[in-house]
Amino acid sequence: MGAAVDIGKCWDFKDDEQPPYPVIEVTLSSADRKVTITPKVDTGFNGSVAIDREIAKRLHVTPKGTVLVRTATGHRETPIYPVNLSQLDLAVTYTTLAIGTERSLLGRRFLENKTWLLDCKQGRFCIVTPTGTSDGD
Amino acid sequence: MMMRPFVEALRTFKREPFRSIDLVEKLGYATGYARNFLSQATRQGLLIAESRKGKREKTFRANPSVVKEIVLKGGKEKEELLEALGLHSRYAGEYVALKGFRVVDHDPDLYRLGERALSDAEAQDQLVITNVGVPRKIVTIET
Repeated sequence: MGAAVDIGKCWDFKDDEQPPYPVIEVTLSSADRKVTITPKVDTGFNGSVAIDREIAKRLHVTPKGTVLVRTATGHRETPIYPVNLSQLDLAVTYTTLAIGTERSLLGRRFLENKTWLLDCKQGRFCIVTPTGTSDGD
Repeated sequence: MMMRPFVEALRTFKREPFRSIDLVEKLGYATGYARNFLSQATRQGLLIAESRKGKREKTFRANPSVVKEIVLKGGKEKEELLEALGLHSRYAGEYVALKGFRVVDHDPDLYRLGERALSDAEAQDQLVITNVGVPRKIVTIET
Protein backbone atom coordinates (compact mmCIF):
# COMPACT_ATOMS: atom_id res chain seq x y z
CA MET A 1 0.00 0.00 0.00
CA GLY A 2 1.39 3.44 -0.90
CA ALA A 3 0.34 7.06 -1.00
CA ALA A 4 -1.66 8.11 -4.05
CA VAL A 5 -0.89 11.54 -5.40
CA ASP A 6 -2.17 13.86 -8.06
CA ILE A 7 0.54 15.58 -10.03
CA GLY A 8 -0.36 19.22 -10.44
CA LYS A 9 1.51 22.00 -12.14
CA CYS A 10 5.03 21.09 -13.38
CA TRP A 11 7.94 23.25 -14.47
CA ASP A 12 10.54 21.82 -16.84
CA PHE A 13 14.13 21.78 -15.62
CA LYS A 14 16.25 24.57 -17.04
CA ASP A 15 19.11 23.20 -19.12
CA ASP A 16 21.21 26.28 -19.73
CA GLU A 17 23.83 24.61 -17.53
CA GLN A 18 24.73 21.05 -16.64
CA PRO A 19 23.22 19.28 -14.90
CA PRO A 20 19.77 20.75 -15.64
CA TYR A 21 18.14 22.15 -12.52
CA PRO A 22 14.60 22.58 -11.16
CA VAL A 23 12.91 25.96 -11.40
CA ILE A 24 9.54 27.51 -10.55
CA GLU A 25 8.09 30.52 -12.29
CA VAL A 26 7.24 33.28 -9.83
CA THR A 27 6.26 36.91 -10.12
CA LEU A 28 8.00 39.53 -8.01
CA SER A 29 6.61 42.99 -7.66
CA SER A 30 7.51 46.23 -5.97
CA ALA A 31 5.47 49.41 -5.58
CA ASP A 32 5.64 50.19 -9.28
CA ARG A 33 7.30 47.26 -11.09
CA LYS A 34 6.55 43.62 -11.81
CA VAL A 35 9.01 40.96 -13.00
CA THR A 36 8.35 37.29 -13.78
CA ILE A 37 11.36 35.03 -13.32
CA THR A 38 12.17 31.31 -13.11
CA PRO A 39 14.73 31.05 -10.30
CA LYS A 40 16.58 27.87 -9.44
CA VAL A 41 15.00 25.84 -6.66
CA ASP A 42 17.75 25.47 -4.09
CA THR A 43 17.17 23.32 -1.03
CA GLY A 44 20.51 24.52 0.35
CA PHE A 45 18.91 27.97 0.75
CA ASN A 46 16.74 28.11 3.87
CA GLY A 47 15.13 31.45 2.98
CA SER A 48 12.22 32.27 0.73
CA VAL A 49 13.56 34.08 -2.32
CA ALA A 50 16.90 35.52 -3.34
CA ILE A 51 17.33 38.02 -6.15
CA ASP A 52 20.35 39.07 -8.15
CA ARG A 53 21.34 42.68 -8.82
CA GLU A 54 19.68 42.80 -12.21
CA ILE A 55 16.28 41.79 -10.79
CA ALA A 56 16.63 44.28 -7.93
CA LYS A 57 17.37 46.95 -10.53
CA ARG A 58 14.42 45.96 -12.70
CA LEU A 59 12.11 46.06 -9.67
CA HIS A 60 13.46 49.47 -8.60
CA VAL A 61 13.75 48.24 -5.03
CA THR A 62 16.12 49.76 -2.52
CA PRO A 63 17.60 47.74 0.35
CA LYS A 64 15.61 47.60 3.57
CA GLY A 65 18.74 46.61 5.47
CA THR A 66 21.74 44.31 5.48
CA VAL A 67 22.06 40.87 7.03
CA LEU A 68 24.77 38.33 7.59
CA VAL A 69 24.29 35.11 5.60
CA ARG A 70 26.22 31.86 5.64
CA THR A 71 27.49 30.61 2.30
CA ALA A 72 29.51 27.60 1.21
CA THR A 73 32.67 29.66 1.56
CA GLY A 74 31.95 31.47 4.83
CA HIS A 75 29.88 34.41 6.07
CA ARG A 76 29.07 37.56 4.17
CA GLU A 77 26.83 40.56 4.49
CA THR A 78 24.12 41.06 1.91
CA PRO A 79 21.30 43.54 1.25
CA ILE A 80 17.65 42.60 1.81
CA TYR A 81 14.84 43.92 -0.37
CA PRO A 82 11.10 44.16 0.26
CA VAL A 83 9.23 42.36 -2.51
CA ASN A 84 5.83 40.88 -3.15
CA LEU A 85 6.17 37.25 -4.19
CA SER A 86 3.36 35.51 -6.04
CA GLN A 87 2.83 32.15 -7.72
CA LEU A 88 -0.68 31.83 -9.06
CA ASP A 89 -0.65 28.04 -9.64
CA LEU A 90 0.14 27.59 -5.97
CA ALA A 91 -2.28 30.34 -4.91
CA VAL A 92 0.58 32.01 -3.10
CA THR A 93 1.11 35.72 -2.68
CA TYR A 94 2.87 37.48 0.15
CA THR A 95 5.27 40.28 0.95
CA THR A 96 8.68 39.15 2.10
CA LEU A 97 12.32 40.10 2.33
CA ALA A 98 14.37 38.95 -0.64
CA ILE A 99 18.04 38.23 -0.02
CA GLY A 100 20.44 39.94 -2.42
CA THR A 101 22.65 37.31 -4.06
CA GLU A 102 24.64 36.71 -7.21
CA ARG A 103 21.93 34.43 -8.55
CA SER A 104 18.16 34.42 -8.07
CA LEU A 105 16.95 31.44 -6.00
CA LEU A 106 13.86 29.97 -4.39
CA GLY A 107 14.52 28.36 -1.04
CA ARG A 108 13.04 25.92 1.43
CA ARG A 109 10.84 28.52 3.05
CA PHE A 110 8.99 28.90 -0.24
CA LEU A 111 8.66 25.11 -0.63
CA GLU A 112 7.63 24.27 2.92
CA ASN A 113 4.28 22.73 3.79
CA LYS A 114 3.80 21.41 0.27
CA THR A 115 4.62 18.09 -1.37
CA TRP A 116 6.93 18.21 -4.36
CA LEU A 117 8.04 15.77 -7.03
CA LEU A 118 11.58 16.05 -8.33
CA ASP A 119 11.16 14.08 -11.56
CA CYS A 120 14.68 13.69 -12.91
CA LYS A 121 13.54 11.08 -15.46
CA GLN A 122 11.30 13.56 -17.23
CA GLY A 123 13.27 16.61 -16.18
CA ARG A 124 10.49 18.42 -14.33
CA PHE A 125 9.64 19.74 -10.89
CA CYS A 126 6.01 19.37 -9.85
CA ILE A 127 3.64 20.19 -7.05
CA VAL A 128 1.76 17.08 -5.96
CA THR A 129 -1.38 16.62 -3.91
CA PRO A 130 -1.74 13.52 -1.75
CA THR A 131 -5.16 11.98 -2.46
CA GLY A 132 -5.15 9.17 0.10
CA THR A 133 -3.76 5.68 -0.08
CA SER A 134 -3.68 3.19 -2.91
CA ASP A 135 -3.28 -0.59 -2.92
CA GLY A 136 -0.68 -0.42 -5.63
CA ASP A 137 -0.71 -2.36 -8.90
CA MET B 1 33.51 59.74 7.70
CA MET B 2 34.80 60.43 11.21
CA MET B 3 33.38 57.17 12.43
CA ARG B 4 35.62 56.36 15.37
CA PRO B 5 35.02 59.56 17.39
CA PHE B 6 31.36 59.51 16.31
CA VAL B 7 30.92 55.99 17.67
CA GLU B 8 32.75 56.95 20.88
CA ALA B 9 30.51 59.99 21.32
CA LEU B 10 27.43 57.88 20.64
CA ARG B 11 28.55 55.22 23.14
CA THR B 12 29.16 57.86 25.80
CA PHE B 13 26.35 60.37 25.30
CA LYS B 14 23.74 58.15 23.55
CA ARG B 15 21.01 60.46 22.29
CA GLU B 16 21.76 63.25 24.76
CA PRO B 17 23.25 66.58 23.68
CA PHE B 18 26.92 67.23 24.44
CA ARG B 19 29.38 70.09 24.14
CA SER B 20 32.91 70.39 22.90
CA ILE B 21 34.15 70.47 26.49
CA ASP B 22 32.39 67.15 27.21
CA LEU B 23 34.53 65.48 24.54
CA VAL B 24 37.62 66.88 26.23
CA GLU B 25 36.58 65.94 29.74
CA LYS B 26 34.88 62.58 29.17
CA LEU B 27 36.71 61.21 26.16
CA GLY B 28 40.09 62.82 26.76
CA TYR B 29 40.20 64.53 23.36
CA ALA B 30 42.50 67.50 22.78
CA THR B 31 40.49 70.71 22.39
CA GLY B 32 41.54 71.20 18.78
CA TYR B 33 40.69 67.60 17.88
CA ALA B 34 37.28 67.87 19.54
CA ARG B 35 36.45 71.07 17.64
CA ASN B 36 37.67 69.62 14.37
CA PHE B 37 35.59 66.48 14.90
CA LEU B 38 32.45 68.47 15.75
CA SER B 39 32.86 70.66 12.71
CA GLN B 40 33.51 67.80 10.28
CA ALA B 41 30.92 65.44 11.74
CA THR B 42 28.28 68.18 11.56
CA ARG B 43 29.17 68.86 7.93
CA GLN B 44 28.93 65.14 7.17
CA GLY B 45 25.51 64.95 8.81
CA LEU B 46 26.63 62.63 11.61
CA LEU B 47 25.86 65.24 14.25
CA ILE B 48 23.17 67.88 14.59
CA ALA B 49 24.35 71.22 16.01
CA GLU B 50 21.94 73.07 18.25
CA SER B 51 22.12 76.53 19.76
CA ARG B 52 20.66 76.86 23.22
CA LYS B 53 18.73 79.97 24.12
CA GLY B 54 20.93 82.51 25.87
CA LYS B 55 24.03 80.32 25.54
CA ARG B 56 26.91 81.04 23.23
CA GLU B 57 28.24 77.53 23.09
CA LYS B 58 26.57 75.07 20.76
CA THR B 59 25.50 71.60 21.74
CA PHE B 60 25.62 68.57 19.49
CA ARG B 61 23.80 65.30 19.31
CA ALA B 62 24.03 62.24 17.11
CA ASN B 63 21.83 62.45 14.02
CA PRO B 64 19.38 59.50 14.06
CA SER B 65 19.09 59.46 10.26
CA VAL B 66 22.69 58.24 9.88
CA VAL B 67 21.74 54.88 11.37
CA LYS B 68 20.03 53.76 8.17
CA GLU B 69 22.95 54.95 6.05
CA ILE B 70 25.52 53.11 8.17
CA VAL B 71 23.47 49.90 8.37
CA LEU B 72 23.03 49.86 4.59
CA LYS B 73 26.76 50.26 4.11
CA GLY B 74 27.35 47.33 6.47
CA GLY B 75 30.77 46.11 7.53
CA LYS B 76 32.82 47.18 10.50
CA GLU B 77 31.12 50.58 10.84
CA LYS B 78 27.73 48.90 11.22
CA GLU B 79 29.09 46.56 13.88
CA GLU B 80 30.64 49.48 15.78
CA LEU B 81 27.41 51.46 15.59
CA LEU B 82 25.28 48.58 16.91
CA GLU B 83 27.78 48.00 19.70
CA ALA B 84 27.78 51.72 20.61
CA LEU B 85 23.98 51.63 20.78
CA GLY B 86 24.26 48.79 23.29
CA LEU B 87 22.40 46.34 21.05
CA HIS B 88 24.91 43.49 21.35
CA SER B 89 24.14 43.00 25.03
CA ARG B 90 20.36 42.91 24.50
CA TYR B 91 19.74 41.48 21.04
CA ALA B 92 22.76 39.31 20.21
CA GLY B 93 21.78 36.61 17.71
CA GLU B 94 18.57 38.41 16.70
CA TYR B 95 17.42 40.69 13.92
CA VAL B 96 16.31 44.21 14.79
CA ALA B 97 14.20 46.84 13.06
CA LEU B 98 15.60 50.28 13.79
CA LYS B 99 13.97 53.66 13.42
CA GLY B 100 16.82 56.06 14.05
CA PHE B 101 18.49 54.92 17.27
CA ARG B 102 15.35 53.19 18.50
CA VAL B 103 14.73 49.45 18.23
CA VAL B 104 11.07 49.27 17.20
CA ASP B 105 10.94 45.48 16.83
CA HIS B 106 13.19 42.43 17.09
CA ASP B 107 12.98 38.72 16.40
CA PRO B 108 15.34 35.75 16.07
CA ASP B 109 13.58 35.01 12.74
CA LEU B 110 14.29 37.46 9.90
CA TYR B 111 11.12 36.60 8.02
CA ARG B 112 8.79 36.99 11.00
CA LEU B 113 10.35 40.38 11.72
CA GLY B 114 10.14 41.35 8.04
CA GLU B 115 6.47 40.42 7.89
CA ARG B 116 5.65 42.70 10.82
CA ALA B 117 7.96 45.52 9.76
CA LEU B 118 6.75 45.57 6.16
CA SER B 119 3.12 45.72 7.24
CA ASP B 120 3.69 49.17 8.74
CA ALA B 121 3.48 51.22 5.56
CA GLU B 122 3.96 54.57 7.30
CA ALA B 123 7.29 53.66 8.87
CA GLN B 124 8.85 52.26 5.68
CA ASP B 125 11.05 55.22 4.77
CA GLN B 126 12.87 55.37 8.07
CA LEU B 127 12.96 51.71 9.02
CA VAL B 128 16.07 49.58 8.56
CA ILE B 129 16.55 45.90 9.41
CA THR B 130 19.77 44.17 10.36
CA ASN B 131 21.32 41.38 12.39
CA VAL B 132 23.04 41.87 15.73
CA GLY B 133 26.07 39.60 15.86
CA VAL B 134 25.75 36.18 14.23
CA PRO B 135 22.02 35.36 13.96
CA ARG B 136 20.85 32.21 15.76
CA LYS B 137 18.58 31.54 12.76
CA ILE B 138 21.02 32.57 10.09
CA VAL B 139 20.03 32.57 6.41
CA THR B 140 22.05 29.88 4.68
CA ILE B 141 22.88 29.76 0.99
CA GLU B 142 25.00 26.70 0.42
CA THR B 143 25.34 26.81 -3.35
